[in-house]
Amino acid sequence: MDPQLLFELFVKGLVQGSIYALIAVGLTLVYGLLRILYIAHAGLFTLGGYCGVLVTNATGSFPLALAVAMVSVGLLGMVIYRLCYQPILDQPPYVALIASIGLYIALEEVYRLIFGPYGDSYDNPPFQEIVQVFGVGLKQAEIATMVATVVLLSILGLLAARTRVGIAWRATVTAPNMAESFGISILQVRYLNFFIGSALAGFAGVMVALLNNLAEPGMGAVPSYKALAIIVLGGLGSVRGTLVAALALGVIEAYGTIYLGALLDRDAIAFAFLIAVLMMRPKGLFARA
Amino acid sequence: MDLIGAYEMSLLTTIAIAIIFALSLNLITGFCGQISLGHAAFYGVGAYITALLGKAGMALGPALFIAALATACAGLAVGIGALRVRDDFLAIMTMGVGFLFTGIVRQQDALGGEVGISAIPDHGLGRAGFMALCLAVAAGLALFSLYIKKSWMGFAFDSIADDEDTARMIGIDASRFKLAAFALGTGFAAIAGGLYTHNVGIINPDSFGFIESITVLAMVVVGGIGSVWGVIGAAIVLSMLPQWFQFIADYKLLLYGALLFAVMRFSPGGFAALIAGAVARLRRGRTVTS
Amino acid sequence: MIGKKIAALALGAVLFGAGGAAAETVKIGFNVPLTGFAAADGKSALTGAQLAVEQANAAGGINGNKIEIITYDDQASPKNAAPGAVRLIEKDKVAVGISGSYSGATRAAAGVFQKASVPYISAYAIHPDITRAGNYVFRTSFVGEVQGRAGAKLIGEMLGKKRVVVITLKNDFGKSLARGFKEKAARFGITIVNEYEYSIKDRQFGPIVSKVKADKPDAIYASGYFFTAGPLVSQLRSGGVDAVVVGQEGYDSVKFIKIAGKASEGVIITTSLDRDSKSQETRDFIKAFEKKAGFPADMVAASGHTAVKVAVAAMRKAGTTDKKAIRDAIAATNLVASTGTISFNGLGEVQKAVQVQIVKDGAFHHYAVIDDAKLLAPPAK
Repeated sequence: MDPQLLFELFVKGLVQGSIYALIAVGLTLVYGLLRILYIAHAGLFTLGGYCGVLVTNATGSFPLALAVAMVSVGLLGMVIYRLCYQPILDQPPYVALIASIGLYIALEEVYRLIFGPYGDSYDNPPFQEIVQVFGVGLKQAEIATMVATVVLLSILGLLAARTRVGIAWRATVTAPNMAESFGISILQVRYLNFFIGSALAGFAGVMVALLNNLAEPGMGAVPSYKALAIIVLGGLGSVRGTLVAALALGVIEAYGTIYLGALLDRDAIAFAFLIAVLMMRPKGLFARA
Repeated sequence: MDLIGAYEMSLLTTIAIAIIFALSLNLITGFCGQISLGHAAFYGVGAYITALLGKAGMALGPALFIAALATACAGLAVGIGALRVRDDFLAIMTMGVGFLFTGIVRQQDALGGEVGISAIPDHGLGRAGFMALCLAVAAGLALFSLYIKKSWMGFAFDSIADDEDTARMIGIDASRFKLAAFALGTGFAAIAGGLYTHNVGIINPDSFGFIESITVLAMVVVGGIGSVWGVIGAAIVLSMLPQWFQFIADYKLLLYGALLFAVMRFSPGGFAALIAGAVARLRRGRTVTS
Repeated sequence: MIGKKIAALALGAVLFGAGGAAAETVKIGFNVPLTGFAAADGKSALTGAQLAVEQANAAGGINGNKIEIITYDDQASPKNAAPGAVRLIEKDKVAVGISGSYSGATRAAAGVFQKASVPYISAYAIHPDITRAGNYVFRTSFVGEVQGRAGAKLIGEMLGKKRVVVITLKNDFGKSLARGFKEKAARFGITIVNEYEYSIKDRQFGPIVSKVKADKPDAIYASGYFFTAGPLVSQLRSGGVDAVVVGQEGYDSVKFIKIAGKASEGVIITTSLDRDSKSQETRDFIKAFEKKAGFPADMVAASGHTAVKVAVAAMRKAGTTDKKAIRDAIAATNLVASTGTISFNGLGEVQKAVQVQIVKDGAFHHYAVIDDAKLLAPPAK
């Protein structure tokens, strides 16, 4: 057991975990607000990936691509909320689930039809330099992902706790009627929620397309169900729980694929972990009271 | 010449198997309200057991029976675990069970690994005979489902689906009924899986994954949770969609997704609600004019 | 009353007769993944096949009759391929079937075609059981094990590397390649230091890269498709692993080079398409394909093209109605195609040389040819 190797696997696990966290947070925001499992979220993730690649290739500016991705995906998220979810809010949860799945399948196909099945790559991918961090070589893009995760989620946490918007958001979740009588516009809070959650998915899409150097129509397939597992693991609706669960899952997968690979494949390892946790804590790691 | 050609027979067989699979999930989800996102795992267990027994020389009938029994036991075990969790957690947990199944099977060379199992001995019934068997089982399960719905068991299932806590309060042992639903549902899923094995001739882990679980759940929800006729209708439509839309092959998956979405958005009660609504409108129309 | 019936019968006869009298189109059935995870390869295979049909029609079709491809989207799944095969045979009445799909779907369809005694050619699916379905099934590409053996000779003897790490894509494609490789590894002096597996869905290989770095191999034998091999090679290089990477025909696409960028330089693959080929067939195909598709040819497209060529040549000799005669004509094929000289052994397997290509200056180029007949002998039963 080479300690350097074990440490390196740990760090790689954190990188993967950061990717998972960025994708899952948007999902948990939506769940926390509306109690729906929003699989179509993964379709927005994919759009972010394509935006990132196509805009960077067309204009040469990665920051511009990032901004375009986040804004357009965020707006699309709001549109999806208005057209798809708002009308079925009072239906049982499986309705939203199947609707979401249908929407995801349709989105994936639209991407394939428009962009082709082969996928697109960056002509000149930025942030490819290797940086040594405690003896582990990481690409700048990988470090950027980890830093972005921490920064974005901290901002979210601050927003929720300290600002009026955040307090309004929390009130909308726990006591919507009271919130309304206090003059908080539920609709605005929901729109903001979907915008932020979707923008985060868009951001994640750009970063993943950069890390893989490939944006493909089906890139949301694995995140669509992995993110679900993560938000449940973390305790539905808890941003902090989602972050912890995502990082933990990344690390467990890193060790698991190397040392348990003969027994179970990667997804099975993730879900075995999930089931084990659920059996001990049926409401997830950080269940909301 | 035959009125029904080989192609039509293969379609009917496929439809029958889809109906059995969908109705089996309907027992769990439709009647008892437990959302399972991993039902394909039991379909898969039944398929693999039937395949292995078939290769070992067992006839179709006994193989299906053993597969159903063994799978129902596994279903019971999962059901017991599932008792601890509710709603969305249950959905995710069953999803996990599904991935565990494919994840383990993929890695076992004894089960064919990634490549799966093929060269399964012929069942000896001939194409028409096999189709008749599948249709018979589908019809049997449909009748059984209808019977359960009307019986006291159905009442209990309904109450649990509606409001579990209240059901418990009025003395319904929710746990026992949920477990019964799991055992029955998974057992029939296994039969569907065994029939599938012989219909297609080769099985591999990919055929029993998350996508398959979602497809069968979509059949139940689009049909109208709990409605036997609705689920049968949805099973027929959704399993035949790829065939009907072959002429626009490039767009058929898009249409499938759009259809799922549209039904949920505009008629959340599924086909059953659509038909019930149409019938109600017709009735109202008649009384007004008569 | 009777007048009407007679008129109806007459009309029916005319239509029926009219249908029979017109020039017959010859139908070739083609099952291919157009949607789903394998859609990229499906599109390539279909384009290659369509090119072959266009070229054949331009040269007079089959004895004057036009050729038509009837496509069936099987999503690379056996569940769809089996009924698809039934439909192609019973409803579309195809003279010959070709698989542009992966092994699982092809195996399911092969069983159906064999039972119906309709010839079936697998363009690039590599599972050995496909041709074992029966004497009506043929394959115009390498069986996985054969290519794996070639890889062993390439690494052990031609490159002289002895300590090898094997990274295998966990499906029938990757596993049969690994099997062939391991079978002959010892013969060429190769020690397999370690083996790793990954799933077709994976794009991030951090843990594997770290572990391989610790293994310090001389060479890496990695199987995959362009969308997994591209990221894998890129991450290996940025992870500090400099050992030569040897891949196979799954890498054989310009998209691999696009994804991996500079990391793809020096990657060597075993395949059937030689970009620098002196053969007129190959050069014509490469040019024609790029003109039709708008992007450079890949192995899958070339395989689709070859399979159609074989089918058309056989039907030109044996006509289009006697399936047994067509089968016999295919079995007796001796044809030069873009992917080599095609002739079949008793099992329906092809015996041909393995092309080795290397990525140099951002494109695939000729590196070597492996022509060891005994080593590359395909299974005979």
